[in-house]
Amino acid sequence: MFQKILIANRGEIAMRVIRSCREMGIAAVTVYSDADKKAAHRLCADASVHIGASEPSRSYLNIERIIAAAQAIGAEAIHPGYGFLSENADFAAACEAAGITFIGPPSNVIRALGDKTVARQMMVNSGVPVTPGMHRAETDPLRLAEAAEQLGYPVLIKAAGGGGGKGMRIVTSGDQLPEACRSAAREAAAAFGNADIYIEKYIARPRHVEIQILADAHGNVIHLLERECSIQRRHQKIIEESPSTALSPELRAKMGQAAVAAARAAGYVNAGTVEFLLDENGDFYFLEVNTRLQVEHPVTEMITGIDIVRHQIEIAAGRKLSLSQSDIAGRGHAIECRIYAEDPENDFFPSPGKIVFLQEPTGPGIRNDGGIYSGVTVPVEYDPILSKLIVYAENRALAVKRMRDALSRYVILGIKTPILFLMDVMDAEAFKQGETHTDFIARHFANWKPKSANPHSACLAFAVHELTGKKRSEAFSTAKGEFPTPWETLGNWRG
Amino acid sequence: MEYNLRISDGDIRMAIDPHREKDALTAVIGEREYSVSYEAVSENRIYMVVDDGKEKTGMDVYVAPTADGKVIHINGGVYMVSDNDDPSRQQRKKNGGAGLPDQVTPPMPSLVISVLVKTGDTVEKGQGVVVVSAMKMETTLMAPYAGKVRRINVAEGDKVAPGDVLVDIERGERTRIDEAVKSPILLVD
Repeated sequence: MFQKILIANRGEIAMRVIRSCREMGIAAVTVYSDADKKAAHRLCADASVHIGASEPSRSYLNIERIIAAAQAIGAEAIHPGYGFLSENADFAAACEAAGITFIGPPSNVIRALGDKTVARQMMVNSGVPVTPGMHRAETDPLRLAEAAEQLGYPVLIKAAGGGGGKGMRIVTSGDQLPEACRSAAREAAAAFGNADIYIEKYIARPRHVEIQILADAHGNVIHLLERECSIQRRHQKIIEESPSTALSPELRAKMGQAAVAAARAAGYVNAGTVEFLLDENGDFYFLEVNTRLQVEHPVTEMITGIDIVRHQIEIAAGRKLSLSQSDIAGRGHAIECRIYAEDPENDFFPSPGKIVFLQEPTGPGIRNDGGIYSGVTVPVEYDPILSKLIVYAENRALAVKRMRDALSRYVILGIKTPILFLMDVMDAEAFKQGETHTDFIARHFANWKPKSANPHSACLAFAVHELTGKKRSEAFSTAKGEFPTPWETLGNWRG
Repeated sequence: MEYNLRISDGDIRMAIDPHREKDALTAVIGEREYSVSYEAVSENRIYMVVDDGKEKTGMDVYVAPTADGKVIHINGGVYMVSDNDDPSRQQRKKNGGAGLPDQVTPPMPSLVISVLVKTGDTVEKGQGVVVVSAMKMETTLMAPYAGKVRRINVAEGDKVAPGDVLVDIERGERTRIDEAVKSPILLVD
């Protein structure tokens, strides 16, 4: 087993991997950029290596620097987290060349599945159903326009080089297509270093259901049930849950088998996720394989009781999967809300800045995977995820209530967050009924504004805060008062 | 003491009578009267017991002062409360403030990707004017009202910040399209 693992990431996912390493007795080393000098993931690691300037290409995306850091610190393995280099085949290959174990699939598998059009073709060949669309990335605007005409509008532009909503655009008519393609290509180039795009038919009102898979290097592949990720904005997930209200046990089994077949077709090793679109008729279509640990993995961990990161490390160390498919059972219901530094009143624009005060909710069935603390400054240079709030309860109705309550006790002051928005989603009839399709926010929450339930109490608090100004500073000061110093207690001892 | 407070989109007037010795006060807001006793818990936390004549409710309140006022968290409700009589706030209101939707300005430090209009163009309210990029995301800034492009103040590759006016638009006649149509999914950036 590894003695030391380097985590090539930051924020909440770096903190997550540190935890599993600690439990396994493995030293956890992190890396940090200039902007992250005071980041939790630097402060909490066994050691942390400074790798460069704040801009991702000079730090968290810099393959040479990260490999050099791992070699200098003596790490035998690297966990890439999600985003950044986690799906970069060149990075996995560089690790392999340097004799460092990459905790994830082999670089050739990442490369094949990382090209979304190649992946689609692989699935077509293996009998896994796919969405109608282009089989190859294209840069010629005429070819793109032709493909779009053939599929019929509306169409969806997607980046061939990666996911996470980057480089995605919905186009409803031909005249919007050229600028949308240019913009999508630029965003894709910035996010993945690859400007290739392709076009798929846009499926109206789909549900986004994904299956977690785990494969060892000995040919064993299992699935860990599904996650429902339909509530999104800007094609990025914001609420995820498991199980999905749309899946019967039969459909779950069918999709699980299709996911395992997809993983086998690709020669997959380690943790991964097979994403599907589910339409209103119960037909599902392969979307892509995410060759990494996903942001929303905690909902699966809550209903199965499994530590996926631990299994990733064990698989990477060459061990056989300790679980078989018959060991996997789901109990209860889990919901995750992503807490971003964003302003839901302003189209979810990022809201970087200093977190003046933080108090995280705790209690039965509440888990908060975060990378922040009171006083930290959220930098502008990176994806603004602050934490993931996950709840687990006996059934969905109870989980929704638990999430609503946990959100109300999550205090983050100093930056804008979507916490109030998420509370309103938990209260919404459509959400309680499980009517979660990818158009949920546009349909039910466009132009959302917070309700002002208790404005008088807020006004009273405003006045009380002013009146207690001096007392509040003293309440936290150790200069005088509660803890008398020896100068005060010893009295006249000179005699 | 009289307070003239701005909270969410409304103004509330409040009259406070602080108790001379105890940490308590009485308050009148509109037709409601409140009796409040309070304690300082820590730098950002106060405890209030509010008696509204019908019930006494204990409240665990978190407050942080910010440039735009005090952000106050009570039982999951978050409010931005500011003092309309605060002179520095009045000055910022006159200057237009950063991020208000009446100028073509980015909501946070960004990079200019492309300028979609040229000097002399007529623009509709809600029409895309400049594409900027920040936090790995591209956004199109839109004309806040219909009019004519007077001057373009930036070029591709410029770093810009909230408060910078990227494009000067001279307000023109109102056109038929008065509502900016914004849907987070259908907006083609």
